[in-house]
Amino acid sequence: MATIPIGTDRTVAAVRAARRGYRVLQNLPLIPLLILGALTAMAVLAPVVAPHSKLDPVKPTREQCLAKFNFPDCPYVDNAPPFWARGGTLDTPLGTDSLGRDVLSRLMHGARISLIVALTGTLFAGAIGTVLGVLAGYMGRWWDEIIMRITDAWLTLPSLVFAILLSSVREPGLWNVVLILALVFWSRYSRAVRGEVLTLRERDFVKLAEINGIGKPTIIRRHLIPNVMNTVMVLFSLQVGVAVIIEASLSFLGFGVPPPEPSWGLMMAQERESLMEGRWWLEVFPGICITMLVLSANMLGDWLRVRLDPQLRNR
Amino acid sequence: MLKRSFAILLVLTLTCGVVWGQPILSGPLAKLDIKDARVEPARPKPKGTLNIGLHFGIDPGWLDPLGYYGAAHQFYYLMHDALIKPMPQGEFTYSLAEHAEVSADFTRAAFRLRPGLKFQDGRPLTTADVKWTYENYRGLNFKPLQDKLDRIEIVDDRAIVFHFKGPFVDFLDLYNGSGSGAGWIVPKHYYERVGKEAFNARPMGAGPFKFVSQEAGVRVSVEAWDEYWRRPPGVKFINVRGIRDLAGRVAGLETGELDLAYGMTGKLLQRVMADPKLRWNPNFTSPWHLVFPGYNEPTSPFHDKRVRQAISLAINRQFLTRQETQGIGKPWGNWISHETRDALRGDGTDLPVPPYDPGKAKSLLAEAGYPNGFDFDWYVPFAPYYDMAERILNDLRAVGMRSKMQMLDAPAYMAQTSKGRKGFPGNRTIVQRIDPRPGGAKALIRLYAVCAGQASYICEPRLEALWAKHEASIDPVERDRLSRELQRLIVEEYYLVPLYLQPFVHAVTQKVLPEGEAVQRYWDTLNAPFPWPWEVWEVKG
Amino acid sequence: MKKYILVRALYSVVTLWLLVTLIFALVRLTGDPVAMKAEAGADPAYVAQLRHSWGLDQPLPRQYAGFVGRLLRGDFGHSFEKSLPVRDIYFERLPNSLKLGFAAFVISLALGVPFGMLSALKVNSVWDNAGKMIALLGLSMPGFFVGLVLIIVFGIELGWLPVLGKGSSTFVWSAPSTWATFWFSDWGHLVMPAFALGWYFSGAMLRITRSGMLDVLGSDYIKLVRLKGVPEAVVVAKHALKNSMIPVLTFAGLNLLIMVNVSIVIEVIFNWPGVGQLLYDALSNRDFPMVQGVVLMSGLLIVLLNFAIDVLYGCVDPRIRLSR
Repeated sequence: MATIPIGTDRTVAAVRAARRGYRVLQNLPLIPLLILGALTAMAVLAPVVAPHSKLDPVKPTREQCLAKFNFPDCPYVDNAPPFWARGGTLDTPLGTDSLGRDVLSRLMHGARISLIVALTGTLFAGAIGTVLGVLAGYMGRWWDEIIMRITDAWLTLPSLVFAILLSSVREPGLWNVVLILALVFWSRYSRAVRGEVLTLRERDFVKLAEINGIGKPTIIRRHLIPNVMNTVMVLFSLQVGVAVIIEASLSFLGFGVPPPEPSWGLMMAQERESLMEGRWWLEVFPGICITMLVLSANMLGDWLRVRLDPQLRNR
Repeated sequence: MLKRSFAILLVLTLTCGVVWGQPILSGPLAKLDIKDARVEPARPKPKGTLNIGLHFGIDPGWLDPLGYYGAAHQFYYLMHDALIKPMPQGEFTYSLAEHAEVSADFTRAAFRLRPGLKFQDGRPLTTADVKWTYENYRGLNFKPLQDKLDRIEIVDDRAIVFHFKGPFVDFLDLYNGSGSGAGWIVPKHYYERVGKEAFNARPMGAGPFKFVSQEAGVRVSVEAWDEYWRRPPGVKFINVRGIRDLAGRVAGLETGELDLAYGMTGKLLQRVMADPKLRWNPNFTSPWHLVFPGYNEPTSPFHDKRVRQAISLAINRQFLTRQETQGIGKPWGNWISHETRDALRGDGTDLPVPPYDPGKAKSLLAEAGYPNGFDFDWYVPFAPYYDMAERILNDLRAVGMRSKMQMLDAPAYMAQTSKGRKGFPGNRTIVQRIDPRPGGAKALIRLYAVCAGQASYICEPRLEALWAKHEASIDPVERDRLSRELQRLIVEEYYLVPLYLQPFVHAVTQKVLPEGEAVQRYWDTLNAPFPWPWEVWEVKG
Repeated sequence: MKKYILVRALYSVVTLWLLVTLIFALVRLTGDPVAMKAEAGADPAYVAQLRHSWGLDQPLPRQYAGFVGRLLRGDFGHSFEKSLPVRDIYFERLPNSLKLGFAAFVISLALGVPFGMLSALKVNSVWDNAGKMIALLGLSMPGFFVGLVLIIVFGIELGWLPVLGKGSSTFVWSAPSTWATFWFSDWGHLVMPAFALGWYFSGAMLRITRSGMLDVLGSDYIKLVRLKGVPEAVVVAKHALKNSMIPVLTFAGLNLLIMVNVSIVIEVIFNWPGVGQLLYDALSNRDFPMVQGVVLMSGLLIVLLNFAIDVLYGCVDPRIRLSR
């Protein structure tokens, strides 16, 4: 019989915990988490870390004014290139736009806008959709019929079209875009959640709770909602990417966050002409930022889906 | 011998005079300044295709003069014709009419049509069509035209007399093809046969080009009508395409898909100017200006004239025009386009160019009781010139006046401004505006600067007194003088703050003839937002 | 079975009615189009006459009743901006959108399916990871970004492809000769917008093909075929490919519809005169009938497609039609 020396329990436990932690870390999708982490850090710290203001033009030096306008005094220097090109300075490392504002600072503040809009919009959509889906799945015939018919009607509207329509109803603004995203996307959740709840309510623990006389609201709260969270989380992470693209498209078309706020989609829309002028950096940098955010959100979503759905795990 | 030839000559002249220049109206006539048309029937056959890039989508309703308003002008000069219309020769030029008279008391107006006029389907154009068009016109300004009309008298196939209930001094301004659509003659027989909707789908008129086909909202294609009374057009086909997006229009010019494009603004103007293969015309429209809804309320910060003057002094117009228009735009001291005949020029000849003096602006603000400046509610930009609004806001912020932009897209902006004072609640708003409408300074004053003006924020007793005198007078010289006095007063009291004269640049490619800078002659017509007339355009190949 | 179809049809009708009501309400909340169309200084009489001719001076319930009544007769009203019947304008533009949609669809298949197959056959290898990354990239780059880059590179810098519109060929319903020629002309104009639109969906196609192939390759049927000694190439080409196409094609059908609707941004950038641009113009100008008409037409197509799919599934899988 093997003996375990006394006194090494704690070490063994510690080693085991470390091994587990290492395995968890190994299984985590590092790249998307890193990208998302960087973007989130940028967004949160933007007001502190950004070198210049997001709205006001960069105050230029005498030399810059002289170089560009042959005049010692000017309100701003516009269209400065990134620091590696001729005419660029490290003060504005990614250049300035046509109103003399620093591109890097605007990108950082833009991360805030994109993340806030995408995350809160999808969150609200998820909340509404989950509640309605649970009600539809659990509460019985009439609830189900009504909610599902409304969901179907909602789903036939293409999301971008619906979003533009809603944005014409209210004045453009950041929280209006959040509201729009919530209103457009809740229907995607309610469908999936309803399906889950239909299966869940046949399960033993739910039936047991019902027999014991526990009220419906409590059952929903204690048993149903926690168990649909898996599906909801997967949907959520996949929808965040879509939300970012919809917000960018809305701002691009002029229906989203209004100027002068530095939404990435808006920056791309405003600088289309600069692209033709050869000032590609004004257009490409926001585009890359959008792509990075959506990419990492999608990768994270994929990983979550695989983790939470045992059938897919071995693919 | 000499006596007899003299007698014959006299008789001949008298007969000719009787037959040809016979006045239609009796009694003393008002002096009119209408230029003659240049008829050139012996021109070579039309050839080539001209592709035009319009900066807004096309509404097929514009092809019908009976519903005229604003932007439709583009198409009237293409497919329709009017009795008198603005041409390079002058603001009033004979077109379908060869002779016009207005009685000295402005209660009657008469026209005689040219002989042998036809519509594009070959049927004759007569005074019956003129009368029918006037009576069925329901577009912009149809109310004054209807209300003031007593009756229309058709003297014969070519002569027609309008009788008015009272002196109608502005009749020619309204009938001139730009103030309303009543002057653009619509074929009665065709319109009544096919109805309004089919007319919009397949219009027909008496203009130099015939309708060929259209894709609703996207493209209208027309073909030259060789039998146009004035001359056969120079170009065989014209395609007008609606391309809302500036980058698209410039790209079209560069790839050759477009030959003429409008609205080269903002960032791409520099590219257009620098491109040796493109030629451009500044095409000045009208001055930008700032207005202050509710300024005459005592609680408004703009109530004090010094504050408004400070706003004018705070804006660096030179830098603004350089950034917005590559320096083409001209800082201007008036809010009315200089090309209308009774307007004061704002370049220093009539009214001074507003100076830039932020130091004085700050001291004026301090005098008015705002030593640290103040916050106001909104700055409303003119869509889509949001960059320009941000530059102006920066200037204002530099002297202490702080605010944010109220984002209204074009339809919302139109809706708010057309409601007049009710369009902007509160009295702490600045609205940026431009209005290149035709009709002379008086049309703009009537709309924007008197108490009764529909879109007016201005109501001052001195202006009202002058305006009342203007409306009561039937002497055009006196009216012009009063109009100028009104403009001077408005500018000197800073009821409006003018900015700069807006160029709405048009660009053409190498394909358009004549080569070189002689092409600028296409833009000779005064106060014209587009380079009409179209029958004189020529292209290569 | 009949009961099932009837129930499904009823559901579709209810959905459509809800859609109609929703659109009616939303569109009217966006503002007053009469005030937006009439210029400053327009005669009140002109404005009033405009309002009357557009039917906006009637009380809301009457407007609604009139709207639904006309819809049932197939009359979508007259566009405010374009002064012609909405239905005519919509069907004039629809072939343009379909042409773009089909081309994008073909491109998404041509890009997605081969790479998907490659990923599935060499699962968990470098090829697979590359394939997955390409798919993700496709799903992450916004279509307008791709479109803009294409315009600059191929349109302006290199000058290979035209950048405006769809070319001069038109699909004219009244001219049958154009019915065939339209789809095959002006390819130069079609390449860039179709690529920009199809790029996004090629990512989805890649993944569906991959998972479909993996499903089939792991199935018993394929194991049997392999045991019989059929060469691998034939296994893949003849058996696996055919069976894995079913989910691809189902998804593709839905994608086509989505593409036609999502193409707004692409159509705006490339000035492509399709249904998306029509909708964008109408929304920008508060053209109520046009917005209603376009959205309802798209909704109608989607509802019909869903109905057809439901019926098809009901035929194929008895459990579905016998359940609640």
